[in-house]
Amino acid sequence: MQVFLQTFIGGMSLGAIYALVAMGFSLVYRTMGLVNFAHGSVVMIGAYIASTFYLSVKLPFALAMAVAIGVTGLIGIIIERVLRPLENKDFDLMLIGTIGFGIVLEALAIIIWGATGRAVPSPVPAAPIDLGGLRIRTYDLVVLAIAAAATALLVYFLQRTKRGAAMQAVAMDHQAATAVGIHVGRSNAMAFMIGAGLAALAGGLVGPLLYVSPAMGGLLGIKGFAGAILGGFGSIPGAILGGLGIGVIDSFAAGQFQGYSELVTFLIFTVIIMIRPTGIFGERTVNRA
Amino acid sequence: MLGRVRRPLAAGLLALGVLFVAACSPPGEEQTGGGGENTGPIKIAIANAQSGQLSSLGAWELKGAKLAIDEWNAKGGINGRQIEIGVFDSQGDPTVGTNVARKIASEGFVAMLGTAESAVTIAMAPILQQAQIPNITSGQSPGLIAVKSPFLFLNGPTSLTYDETLAKHVVDQKGLKTIALITNNGSYGKGEHDSFTKALATRGVTPVADQVVTTDQKDFSAALTNIRQKNPQLIFVGAEEVQSGLIVKQARDLGIKAPFAGAAPQGTPVFLDTAGAANVEGTIVSTPYLSNEVDDASKTFAAAYKTATGEEAEMHGAKAYDGAQILLTALKNSNAAKGKELADAIRAVKHKGLLGDFAYDDTGVGIFATSIGTITSGKLVPAAG
Repeated sequence: MQVFLQTFIGGMSLGAIYALVAMGFSLVYRTMGLVNFAHGSVVMIGAYIASTFYLSVKLPFALAMAVAIGVTGLIGIIIERVLRPLENKDFDLMLIGTIGFGIVLEALAIIIWGATGRAVPSPVPAAPIDLGGLRIRTYDLVVLAIAAAATALLVYFLQRTKRGAAMQAVAMDHQAATAVGIHVGRSNAMAFMIGAGLAALAGGLVGPLLYVSPAMGGLLGIKGFAGAILGGFGSIPGAILGGLGIGVIDSFAAGQFQGYSELVTFLIFTVIIMIRPTGIFGERTVNRA
Repeated sequence: MLGRVRRPLAAGLLALGVLFVAACSPPGEEQTGGGGENTGPIKIAIANAQSGQLSSLGAWELKGAKLAIDEWNAKGGINGRQIEIGVFDSQGDPTVGTNVARKIASEGFVAMLGTAESAVTIAMAPILQQAQIPNITSGQSPGLIAVKSPFLFLNGPTSLTYDETLAKHVVDQKGLKTIALITNNGSYGKGEHDSFTKALATRGVTPVADQVVTTDQKDFSAALTNIRQKNPQLIFVGAEEVQSGLIVKQARDLGIKAPFAGAAPQGTPVFLDTAGAANVEGTIVSTPYLSNEVDDASKTFAAAYKTATGEEAEMHGAKAYDGAQILLTALKNSNAAKGKELADAIRAVKHKGLLGDFAYDDTGVGIFATSIGTITSGKLVPAAG
């Protein structure tokens, strides 16, 4: 039982990160119908900027995160701006464009920070909480709390604000949205910006848990993407559930199947997707591709 | 999926850059052996992970090898010929490695230094053997010997030596019997797992836990909780630097107090930084290069390394430095030979290096000893007793 619960806790912690990554994927997808393959690299850039301002500039961790979110948000806007001429013209080229941005960002990180990577000490120095032999890292609780707050904010933005509603409208029918005076390009840029900000949030938070290196985006990107698909691509609650799900499945597969855990995780993922091709919250708001 | 697509592309770009640099060198190499009749620079390839998760290894290796080569060049090269380096990025990926091997073979390099990843070196070995290009690798997996290439040499001991020395220290000398294992299923981790289990078995010790993780795994809750329940006196880690660091960090978070033990990666700064200095206190490390202050040679090396790179020297740089010295000595002794002649010359080199006294046997291993150190106050110091 102890192993079971401890495994679950371990899975939740990384799951929260995957959930944030998944939300970024989903947000861009629901608005533009586009899979942003540069998303994993944006996570990595976010992690680097957060750790640089935290370690080198010695800003408080929260402030370093804010800077990271700001800078990557800008990167998101740039990506969207460069790709905008292709919107509704050549979808495949747009996809490849995001892959290209991923490569560029990774190369940039190597040029700026070197290929070696860095370790980030935990900003929450408190010892883990001991609950009858179960150990819960205080930092994990912080990560979960921030992820929950980010989700709540995003949902509030999408459902209660005018701009959010405009983005929803673009997601449903971009021509109709244009007809009622919504600026589709601006809405897309917003989606990219928020998506990139979420990526930075995930990257900044995962730094102290893992190790910041130019290659870290690959794995987080894949797991986050899988989380988004699992939950129902385009759905925000789905991204949360899918991300946490992937984290927990991963953790248990690691306990049971050891060296074959990765294989088992994606086998389970495949089976779920075969049974429910649209994911857990399978409403496909977008189908523009 | 994304990463897989992206990396080869990035590699292509990088390789192109390297190619361009390499292409600027004068041509005029032929594959036939022998002879100092050639003029112009001698081309040596340095292949290592310059990008990807294992790039810290590649960076150290490159610095160490380059330092040796620069020293030789400053002294006038080999028989008046300068040594020219071609740097290749293997990304720590066997598939990329084979491409790099083909490139090295077709571009007239006489020898290759690297890689630091056994799996990559093993993948490259058949191509290099066919092209008769001697390769001094920094890998340490017993699998390297199983390749049986007369052109493949190691610049350090194999895992068998590391783990035999470690087992001797912890079981025979310290009398620890309840030992848990956590290793990854990559080439290095697998080698460590098998070597250490074997060394324990000859002492009649069976590990109380034997957890295997994947090379990409980041969360070790399940494996570590299992280990915690067995309450071992010592935990053996067989994984690369970053992953080892994460394992130790998470183990401490889970309340595991037992010391850790392992081979080379556990003695590196990356391991220490990733895990946090307080968490690695007391880690037992089996390494052929304990510190920069062991003797005069290591002090000189460390000083030169610091001047050249601005960083503190560590084991991987030292290994690569030794490997490069051996290769250059062989080139000098054979009057810049190539192919089989050069391989024979490497085998004949007796080198007093930073890691110890090299004398190669038929398997391509030149050194058969490591020392035991413990991490004390964030520094690796020779173990007492």
